[in-house]
Amino acid sequence: MKQPSNQPLRGGDHRLPTLPQIVPLGDCALLVRFGQSLDDAANRAALVFAARLKADGIIGVVEIVPSLVSVLVRFDPAQVGVARLSGELALRLSGDGAFGESRTHRIAVRFDGPDLGEVAALLGLSIDGFVEAHNRGGMRVLATGFAPGFVYCGFHEKSLTVPRRTLVRPQVSAGSVLFAAGQTAIAATDIPTGWHVIGHTQFRNFDPTVNPPTQLRAGDQIIFEVVL
Amino acid sequence: MSSSLRVERAGPLCTVQDGGRPGLLAHGISASGPMDIDAHRLAGALAGACDKTGIELTRAGLDLLMESGDLTVGWAGGAFEVQLNGERRPWPGSASIAAGDRLCITPGAAGNYGYLRFGKKLDLPMVLGSRATSTRARLGGLEGRALRAGDVLNFSEEGGTVQSVCSPDPPEAGPVRFVWGIHADRFAADIRRKFVETPFRVTNAMDRMGVRLADEGGVFAGSSILSLISDPILPGDIQILGDGTPIVLMRDHQPTGGYPRIGTIVSADLGRFAQIRSGEAVVFAPVSVNHAHQLMRSGKP
Repeated sequence: MKQPSNQPLRGGDHRLPTLPQIVPLGDCALLVRFGQSLDDAANRAALVFAARLKADGIIGVVEIVPSLVSVLVRFDPAQVGVARLSGELALRLSGDGAFGESRTHRIAVRFDGPDLGEVAALLGLSIDGFVEAHNRGGMRVLATGFAPGFVYCGFHEKSLTVPRRTLVRPQVSAGSVLFAAGQTAIAATDIPTGWHVIGHTQFRNFDPTVNPPTQLRAGDQIIFEVVL
Repeated sequence: MSSSLRVERAGPLCTVQDGGRPGLLAHGISASGPMDIDAHRLAGALAGACDKTGIELTRAGLDLLMESGDLTVGWAGGAFEVQLNGERRPWPGSASIAAGDRLCITPGAAGNYGYLRFGKKLDLPMVLGSRATSTRARLGGLEGRALRAGDVLNFSEEGGTVQSVCSPDPPEAGPVRFVWGIHADRFAADIRRKFVETPFRVTNAMDRMGVRLADEGGVFAGSSILSLISDPILPGDIQILGDGTPIVLMRDHQPTGGYPRIGTIVSADLGRFAQIRSGEAVVFAPVSVNHAHQLMRSGKP
């Protein structure tokens, strides 16, 4: 059946664009979007695309920032125009690939967070049962964001999903291990958060005295280990 | 010869800024750098600055005492009052100062940010390739914090030569131009239309991270867009909070965010926007990305 031809392309809030999609973010960046919701395929596609861009070294591109389901490409407009760059990006949208150099990190966590009992209870698990389920299988760094060195790791099984807390804690300390929305996150600095604090780690993914200041890259594998 | 300058009084959020540290967004670090890049550059030209490091001062101003040595100082940005040893000097401008001289900068007729640049090199450690202060990430400047009374700034090495600078055109008072944002299509057509027809008011909830606007025309009243998956942020992004409040994200912005962004202020107008005082009105006008690039190249409307 044909779509009615008078349907507006913009202005409706009902039509979602075809993905992947390249949109300007200001006058010196393009955002390449691979999903409208956070899922494994969209995150993988974003990481593969970012790795491909880095490997290719496109003229005029000054920064490539992989995010949860998108990649920001900052450019110098004196070196490349937006039409030409969009074309270069579009050429690289399809095809398989790897995340680039992906490493495995073992992160020792003391599961002693103030929300640990509540989270386990929400999931109908004992605390030991929750910790065992949480650490089973390892996770992927989905993105760095929100604060210096703050990483989102995913994805837990659907059965391990809890919503965020209703109240935001104004500050949790660096090293806090956070849990919500099917993910585990690690705070590298003191931050406010609405996520559940399930534990703490000595690992700090942010050190401004070295460059690069973080160790974890989007696409890296994380294995959480219990430390007592 | 080494020189040193003592901070005798500093308004809040007076920071050391240079060109910033772009390129670290993937590590969760925004670039920082001057809120008004053109004014920072002008002050540098007036000082014959040999590098980009200078002081960004806020509306309350700054008092400095030259403790030892001598120094060329250039100043620009907004319209502040400046006195050298009690004698009023033109703003923007420059002077050579020597031990015992006092430079006092007090609020003037316009603007939020002024800049001091120097003919010698400000002796501070580089942090991740820059001396710019990020108070959010506690990086750069003096221990990652704002300047305060009692701080002593040391200078080394001779600088460049003072350039003769044409008096800049006063900033135009027209609309602040933006390109439609990454979530513009999430806003209904009539909201987008009202967004460009309705003045907003700059509020006093402003700092280097963001500027909160008052939506007195009710443009976003009743429009509820749920939070979205976080995407990277850049300076100038105009995000709309869940309660309809618009916030323009500035140089020390958070690295990512999940509020819908209706537009992004163009590079050529971001410094001018940063100088708009609380209580003043701002009107936004959309331009294409190519037009924004023309504005960047010409430095003119």
